[in-house]
Amino acid sequence: MSTLADLAAPRADYTFAFLDEHAKREVRRSLLKAVCIPGYQVPYASREVPMARGWGTGGLQVTLSVIGERDTLKVTDQGADDSVNAVNIRRFVARMTGVVTTTDTLEATLIQSRHRIPEERLREGQILILQVPLPDPFSYLEPSRSKARELHADSDYALLWLRLYEDLTRRGEVMTGADHPVSVHGHYVMAPSPIPRFDVPKLHQAPHLTLLSAGREKKLYAVPPYTDVQPLAFTDVPFQIERQEGWVCAQSGVSGGFMTELPLPGGGARYVLSDTGLLDKLVRARRGEAVTVGETYTELGPEASP
Amino acid sequence: MTLTLEAAPQLIRVRPLLRVTGLHKRYGQTQAVRGVSFELYPGEVLGIVGESGSGKSTVLRLLNLEETPDGGRFELGETPDVFALTRQERRAVQVHQIGIVYQNPHLGLRLRSSASGNIAERLLSAGERRYGALREAASTSLAASEFPLARMDDPPLVLSGGMQQRVQLAKATALSPRLLLLDEPTTGLDVSVQARVLDTLRTMQRAHQVSMIVVSHDLGVIRTLADRVLVMRGGLVVERGLSDQVLDDPQHPYTQELVHAKL
Amino acid sequence: MAYVAARGGEAAIQAAEALALRHLAEVSADQIAWVEAHLSLLVDRVMGEASLYAPRLAALALVQSGGELEGAVLLLRAYRSTQPRIQAAQPVTDASMTSLRRVSAAFKDIPGGQHLGATLDYSHRMLRLDLLDQGRSALPAVSVAQTPAPAHAESVSLWLRREGLLPQLPDLAGEVVFDVTREPLTFPAPRAARLQSLARAETGGVLALGYANMVGYSGVHPTVGEVRLAQAEVTLRHPVSGELFSAGRVRVSRGEIVAPTPEGASASGGAQGSLSLGCCAALGWNETKLIAGGVLDLAMDQPQAHPALQEEFVLNHTESVEASGFCLHFKLPHYVTFASELDRVRAERTRNAQPDIAAFEPPEVSV
Repeated sequence: MSTLADLAAPRADYTFAFLDEHAKREVRRSLLKAVCIPGYQVPYASREVPMARGWGTGGLQVTLSVIGERDTLKVTDQGADDSVNAVNIRRFVARMTGVVTTTDTLEATLIQSRHRIPEERLREGQILILQVPLPDPFSYLEPSRSKARELHADSDYALLWLRLYEDLTRRGEVMTGADHPVSVHGHYVMAPSPIPRFDVPKLHQAPHLTLLSAGREKKLYAVPPYTDVQPLAFTDVPFQIERQEGWVCAQSGVSGGFMTELPLPGGGARYVLSDTGLLDKLVRARRGEAVTVGETYTELGPEASP
Repeated sequence: MTLTLEAAPQLIRVRPLLRVTGLHKRYGQTQAVRGVSFELYPGEVLGIVGESGSGKSTVLRLLNLEETPDGGRFELGETPDVFALTRQERRAVQVHQIGIVYQNPHLGLRLRSSASGNIAERLLSAGERRYGALREAASTSLAASEFPLARMDDPPLVLSGGMQQRVQLAKATALSPRLLLLDEPTTGLDVSVQARVLDTLRTMQRAHQVSMIVVSHDLGVIRTLADRVLVMRGGLVVERGLSDQVLDDPQHPYTQELVHAKL
Repeated sequence: MAYVAARGGEAAIQAAEALALRHLAEVSADQIAWVEAHLSLLVDRVMGEASLYAPRLAALALVQSGGELEGAVLLLRAYRSTQPRIQAAQPVTDASMTSLRRVSAAFKDIPGGQHLGATLDYSHRMLRLDLLDQGRSALPAVSVAQTPAPAHAESVSLWLRREGLLPQLPDLAGEVVFDVTREPLTFPAPRAARLQSLARAETGGVLALGYANMVGYSGVHPTVGEVRLAQAEVTLRHPVSGELFSAGRVRVSRGEIVAPTPEGASASGGAQGSLSLGCCAALGWNETKLIAGGVLDLAMDQPQAHPALQEEFVLNHTESVEASGFCLHFKLPHYVTFASELDRVRAERTRNAQPDIAAFEPPEVSV
């Protein structure tokens, strides 16, 4: 005799990729809209996920919504695969989907990242998902979001330019650190997420798809492949990336990638590549292991002895 | 002999720069502007006088496209009705063709940005992307407003009232607008400062033949600047004419009251 | 240990979690049940801010987070994200809720009667130090009233409507209610979105902003029309038979705040010469939220509301999970962004060390 338990579906506590299908569908619909209107911030409902808001929940919802069983996932934070928050996100997605994870940019199909774009060139078919704290480039200039929406609609970015003007006039330098605003295909200006200025040129005419998502602010936006992305800069004052001349990676001996400065006791500093996936491969290559290092966006300087 | 018709002479017809017809604006129960119509010719200065609540400042805000009217047409240059344009088109008109100076500088300026930045913003709105060009335009415009260039990068917050008005004026005229609107531009300034700012305004007007509308309750300002004058009361124009004529020989009892109160 | 250890990130966070769990000590199902029963107002607050009525799960969330309130709300909300929506229950009306406490400050007596119910409002706030020694509190005797208070009472606002002092409510029958957990909130927000956001808002934040209004940052002088604590039937429609049936009862509370309609007010208000109603309702019992939230509902419609009392400001900044998450995220590594900032500071410093080039000189540009 069959019991009710036999007839019922086996107990399942959570769906594949955590979010219920309705939620994923809504995110994917918003993503499609975002891809169609490059740089435009599409509002979405943004569910709570088992991580604190502001800790990558926006990126996580996008990852959970687009991930499939055959994807290979890489998660980095500040360029590091083993940073506590990156580990935590990777662990969660792997737990809820069972997908393969990697630290190698070349192997990954999905890369969720906070504050960095990998050094090895991304290719067609790869998706970069950037976590965004403040999606609106007007954040600190026009606190009212409804007002900011009007400015975007009018493509009225004088206020952002004024900030550059004021920096140059009063301080002699454009003072934006990370998250330098970029103009996307000549209309919307977007916050590229707090990536260093070093990474901004990587977005221009990139063959990969970039998805940006802010969970707390409930906005997502996208840079489709082969889209113009230009940092805001006066035509007679060139855009400047971080100055790291002479910085050599203490572990791999290369220069030219984005370096992290590590203070030394008593003063001074040493430097290591911020992209740990690449660093790991370079170190292994030095030891004579067979590893494939992809083409990098910036030329890596000659190896020096660390 | 055949009769030769005299050829019609080529008459010089000056088309008005601006023609406002049947302007209406209501706030709740209050009818602030009731069917106001007037014209402004190129290079002319039109004064609008009246006490507070007469609707004169509302007219100016409507012309500056800050608010939408409940009725009326606004012909400006080749545009048959600015009010009928799309939001984006209206914005373009506002940036390129209209400049405004408010009584209260905080309405017209970013008090914490530099004075030159305030002018630069105007040019940035119009698409200028060269830092050098912005600097140059800002100093040219500030100099024309007789603003001391040594202070061009100070924020208006630390400037005196008269200086703030000069920054506003420089901002308003930076893009050489066809229409300059002045809303009580010297009210609240010391008498001597007021005289100097008026002097600057008159110099600029003469030099560039700017078409202006100046709103003030101060008949002295109107007499100094305006060619023609409208007298408003309760949202209506009660009298209009050449400034000298209206101010020296007022016909409407209300204008008479105004003029005598002044004396 | 380095913040980002060479390969130790994973081991580090696991060890840190283990240590934290040890600090929270062992937990049993009985203890979770104890929290549910004895800290019921705290459980109510977590359920309300999480917008999920599940007392046992809320108690579990509180225990699991070590009592950190925003943490418990997040746990419950994250769980809510995984739950499918079966259907929307029938609206709760005055008639379908059993009123257990109902007071009005606006009138000495109200139809249906003032009904104090269970409250500590008039208790002396003195610590019962004797409990520390004796270890047990005696339950006081409770006597049953001769005439029980009516179970269902019409709200004071209904009376005010009949008197023409409040505008009539719009007929919403058949309308699909906006859902802030499913649709993005944009401003101006639909009325339903505002009320839902207030219901979910962090109580402390609502109190802070509501209090700012009460002491004069906006022109509303509020009067509590009614505060009501009740049990509401959750009435569902049977998916097959179509019959309505009760799936259980939940604790709900509702506050109605009234004030004269100011000149030019919008939304909740009527014309001049009438009152405006500020409303706040919550899952669970939370009287502070009701009053402060109701006041904010009114304040947000003020034509000249203080910037911190405008709708967008209030609703965006009282979101518990978002605010606390963002605040805490500053603990995360920011060394790449900080490097970019350092770069700018150093550039500025280099420039300032050479005073003759303190201002930027643009290069020659050919036009």
